[in-house]
Amino acid sequence: MSSLPKRIIKETERLVSDPVPGITAEPHDDNLRYFEVTIEGPQQSPYENGVFDLELFLPDDYPMEAPKVRFLTKIYHPNIDRLGRICLDVLKTNWSPALQIRTVLLSIQALLASPNPNDPLANDVAEDWIKDESSAIDKAKQWTQLYAQPKK
Amino acid sequence: MTTDASSQESKKRFFKDGLDSQEDSSELNLAFDNNDSILFGNRSFKNEVKIIPIDQEDNIAIDDLDENQRSTQNGFDRDEFLLQLQVIIPDIKRTEANMLYDMFKLDDNCIEKAIEYYFEISSKMDKGKVDNNMENDNDDGGEDVIILASSSSPDTSMKSSQQSQKISFGSVTSKKRLSSFEVFSQKKPKLEVRWKRFIGSLQVNAMATRPTTKPLKYGTKLKLVKPNSNVIPSKLYSDSGKKKKALSSYIKVFDMSNNREIGKIPEDIAQIIYPLLEKQEISFLLTLVYCDNKRLSIGDTFVLQLDCFLTNLIFDDEIISTSSSQENISSEFDKSSQDHIENQLEIENRASRLSHLALFKKLNLFPIIDEQKELKKIEELNDTVRDVIDLDDEIIYDNSNEIPMEEEGDKENVDHSLNLNQLMAFYNVTQSGNSLLNLPETQPSKDIFKLELRRYQKQGLSWMLLREQEYDKVSKYEYDSDKNATTMNPLWKQFKWPNDMSWDGQRNKESNSNYPDGLFFYANIHSGKYSMEKPTLKSLVKGGILSDEMGLGKTISTLATIFSAPFDREEKNHNELFIKERTTNNSFDSEIICKPYAYRTTLVVVPTSLLMQWSSEFEKSKNGDDIYSEIYYGGNVTSLKSLLTKTKNPPTAVFTTYGIVQNEWTRISKNTSNNSEALSGLFSVQFFRIVLDEGHIIRNRSTITSKAIMNLSSKRKWILTGTPIINRLDDIYSLVKFLGLEPWSQIGYWKSFVSEPFEKKDFKSAFDVVNSILSPVLLRRTKQMKDIDGKPLVELPLKEIFIEDIELSALQNKVYKYFLDRAESSVREGLAHGDLLKKYSTILVHILRLRQICCDVRLLGTKDDNDEDVNSNNQVVSDSVDVNKILKDLKHTTRNALNQDEITELSDKIQLKYFENGKLKSNECPICTTEPIDANNIIFTECGHCFCESCLQEYFDFQVQKKLETKCPNCRQIISTNRVLKLNHDTVENEPIELYCPTQKSAKIEALLKHLKVIQDQSAGEQIVIFSQFSSYLDILEQDLNEALSTKETIIYKFDGRLSLKERSTVLKEFTTKDLTKQKILLLSLKAGGVGLNLTCSSHAFMMDPWWSPSMEDQAIDRIHRIGQSSNVKVVRFIVQGSIEEKMLKIQERKRTIGEAMDVDEDDRRKRRIEDIKMLFE
Repeated sequence: MSSLPKRIIKETERLVSDPVPGITAEPHDDNLRYFEVTIEGPQQSPYENGVFDLELFLPDDYPMEAPKVRFLTKIYHPNIDRLGRICLDVLKTNWSPALQIRTVLLSIQALLASPNPNDPLANDVAEDWIKDESSAIDKAKQWTQLYAQPKK
Repeated sequence: MTTDASSQESKKRFFKDGLDSQEDSSELNLAFDNNDSILFGNRSFKNEVKIIPIDQEDNIAIDDLDENQRSTQNGFDRDEFLLQLQVIIPDIKRTEANMLYDMFKLDDNCIEKAIEYYFEISSKMDKGKVDNNMENDNDDGGEDVIILASSSSPDTSMKSSQQSQKISFGSVTSKKRLSSFEVFSQKKPKLEVRWKRFIGSLQVNAMATRPTTKPLKYGTKLKLVKPNSNVIPSKLYSDSGKKKKALSSYIKVFDMSNNREIGKIPEDIAQIIYPLLEKQEISFLLTLVYCDNKRLSIGDTFVLQLDCFLTNLIFDDEIISTSSSQENISSEFDKSSQDHIENQLEIENRASRLSHLALFKKLNLFPIIDEQKELKKIEELNDTVRDVIDLDDEIIYDNSNEIPMEEEGDKENVDHSLNLNQLMAFYNVTQSGNSLLNLPETQPSKDIFKLELRRYQKQGLSWMLLREQEYDKVSKYEYDSDKNATTMNPLWKQFKWPNDMSWDGQRNKESNSNYPDGLFFYANIHSGKYSMEKPTLKSLVKGGILSDEMGLGKTISTLATIFSAPFDREEKNHNELFIKERTTNNSFDSEIICKPYAYRTTLVVVPTSLLMQWSSEFEKSKNGDDIYSEIYYGGNVTSLKSLLTKTKNPPTAVFTTYGIVQNEWTRISKNTSNNSEALSGLFSVQFFRIVLDEGHIIRNRSTITSKAIMNLSSKRKWILTGTPIINRLDDIYSLVKFLGLEPWSQIGYWKSFVSEPFEKKDFKSAFDVVNSILSPVLLRRTKQMKDIDGKPLVELPLKEIFIEDIELSALQNKVYKYFLDRAESSVREGLAHGDLLKKYSTILVHILRLRQICCDVRLLGTKDDNDEDVNSNNQVVSDSVDVNKILKDLKHTTRNALNQDEITELSDKIQLKYFENGKLKSNECPICTTEPIDANNIIFTECGHCFCESCLQEYFDFQVQKKLETKCPNCRQIISTNRVLKLNHDTVENEPIELYCPTQKSAKIEALLKHLKVIQDQSAGEQIVIFSQFSSYLDILEQDLNEALSTKETIIYKFDGRLSLKERSTVLKEFTTKDLTKQKILLLSLKAGGVGLNLTCSSHAFMMDPWWSPSMEDQAIDRIHRIGQSSNVKVVRFIVQGSIEEKMLKIQERKRTIGEAMDVDEDDRRKRRIEDIKMLFE
């Protein structure tokens, strides 16, 4: 495996020294391009009080290519599918090498705060969301209760 | 007899002494009774001349000299002459002396001439040994020649002992020498056939030319007669020795009993026999074996048996033939004395030589290849019967001859396909077999030489010392003349006497008993000389060719030799000895110039790049302060002559370059008079020893360098070269000439024995001769060779060579296509018109352009002085204009670039944002997070964001490759490479910001950078060598690498032909010093640094571009992969896919397999070139 670019080292250091509130990201011992990430559900969102596990992987072409991020915790969200894949523009077409792990994770946190059922990834969830938003939010809260409780 | 040079002095004073003492002849006569040996050459012998009588007879004879023979012409009489001659040549025979007197009595310097003449003959006799006694005798004769020629005073003690030994042989050898002398002085001796020995029989179908009255009897003795024996040879032969007319009409068969003509023999036999018929060297016996028992009428055939014998004359006579024009010994005397030999004689000699050859072939006499084997076979087949050979039937071989015949045949088949590689292998075999294993090992003492030699280097040292005849310096070596004598002169062939199958021999067993015993006889089929004794090769040349493969330490071996024998011991006691030296150059031809002898100095001529290396190796290996070396640049030493000959402690070694030798020579030859360099420079002295490093530089004898080198003089000469043959077999000639290997150093000789056979595709004989010339003077070891214990000489770490395929960048590709089209159409045109070679230089330029593009488009604009492909050629000029236009066109295609107004506007914005007090603020690159961005590396987008140049470029490339839009990473505004700005460093004041021109790095440089990064990541502080043949490419590389790599981690050095000597050594010194924190990169020009350098500190090499000749690249790689290298070597060769470079690889491959030696003539070479070109553009 080729050596770690300086940028990755620098970002990792910064994530540790200057963490983002509500977000943790730690590189895996065996693979410094693989991060274990937790994101707290934003306040006033259905995901409040939940702590979501994610995995983040920096591909070889990073930062030219976006990092790969996926939810490990089950979540009821119109832009996140059953496998935890995330529909987010900065992870796809709107990626720019000026973005970083930190900014990507912040974007995901923001996505939790404002789901966008008009650009769905999980179609069934999005349908529910559009049909009956309040019950959908209830279901999201339930799921958060069920699956996203912080480990003690 | 005034003398200015001491050499003259010693010799002439010598004679004067004799003259002076003529009044004291009684005293001299007295001395004859005194049997003490004289100290020959003792300079103070004037008052104590003692002469040893050689044998009693001669002694008396001198006393009995006839007073009447006194000649008054120049005050010399016979007595005096003989006495003086005997003083100088103690073992001369009276008859010989008398003869010399007769020859030279009219001459002014009669004694001098006579002595020269005498030694001339001795030295010749040396070449064709007659018997063992003679051999010993002549050893001295040969040495005397050297001593006289160089006039060094002989080693007295040794001499006298040898002389007394010689005396005991004197009487035995006298007869032989006598006969040779008689012939020489043109008094035809009575030729007497004392014995003859059978060499073979032929069955000949003769044709009757006269009718006979009755049938001829079986066994009738016949003879061959030349009816018109006074036919002038020039009528029969053309100048080249070929016959003009049918010779069969000149030879008749006579009946012995009634001396009557009977018939004639067929043309093919007549041709052979005619030149031999009256010489009596070979005698023929003719017997009738079949005539159908009837009367012969004209036109009838009858069968004869032709027995051939060699007579004693051919053996006695060998010296005569030596003296004839065949052996062109280049001494003044020879020339003058042989002027009168008619051309006819030459023609006759030549014809008879050819006849000998043809006859031997007809008789199936073939040289013996392995004497031991042959001896064994003779034992086994002692009683095999030999048949008469019937020419009309298939040739029947004698059993004992069968096997050599086959071997011969096999060899021929193989040799026809000999190529360069095989030739190399060929002399590998000759070298490794005997010399390597048997050589003793000599380690110079620690007092003089600090380094420890490897085993084979010790053997090499022994060999070199032996070649220089420094026998006592070689450890465990006892000088054994017999041992040396066993190497047969390779021009001679050994033949076995066949069993006597002659008519007489079979019927009368007793008749043949009078010939000498012995199983073998020897013949030099090239010169027509014969001998009963094994002719041995004595080379008088001190020196040779050390041709060890690259990296085996030729330098060290040579230095060890220099230290072991730093000065000429014979000369040590005579500081002011001058020598007579005839230079070979025409301008001095008739002139005899005197050069002082720098007997304590070795001149080492090296390529410029190696000058410092030699000097530092010298310092490293020496021990003691009184030994030192000097580097001679021409200007730095005011008078080399006085430094070397006048000072008390002259430098042991003087290092200089080929360029300096050449410069000095051109200046001298332009202006022969009043030239200070002629008087004090390299050409003003005779060195003790000259060493040519990379000696193949002189391979082309028509170059000025080569001519200049030939005119340096020294007593000992060495050539160091890993590749004695670069292109052609004739490359060796120059080396042979430099060494002065007689007779090969004469071009005529070389041509007729090497070049001509080679051109006639007679590779075997050409190589045989080359091998025979070289084997005594050439030592070659390769890395693969095994030493006595079967271990390889050198165990080098692994060498891996990778070829990395490169894809051209878009721009490069566009340009490449354009140039390829032009080149192809040019070649097609050339092929169509059939004048491809006329356009050769144009095509070369085309090819060069393509090769340059493969490296970097930027190379197109540059003119590279180092590239020899482009000469001062008009084509190039027009071409370079073209290049610029194309590049410009390509730039214009980049539409949409920022215009000047936009630039100014943006510039203001950027200055406002990023500058503070005229200085760039610290900025972080959003892509690589480097902070601050280096001012050299920063670029700004249209939208006013800044990045590292490389980061943004990488982004652009990535996006383009993924076919995505290029947006500013920061603000997502669409940006384009044409609309990017960078800081302008040249004019910081006026125009701080300019349009960024995307210098797309060449694909090769990109690939190289990747490799460098990997190496740096894996282990920091490596040293890396990068080769290219374009020095302007090295400039580009230097620039690009400097930009791409941080100066904290990398240091880049550049080494090419433009560097001065001092710079070269500094660069190498700095590069080779290991620095663990920094990656050191050496950009090395293939031409300047391809040879000689030692870069074992590095184990990574990159070859940026391929070269036509694979050996050049091998040489380059061997800079790294050589003794001293401890880690595995990795070499990466960058080759652009599907480009001309790939085809160059193919040509390289072909060169490797075919070898260029096969390009025998110009036509073939031309064809080869056309093929090459076709191959490039197919």
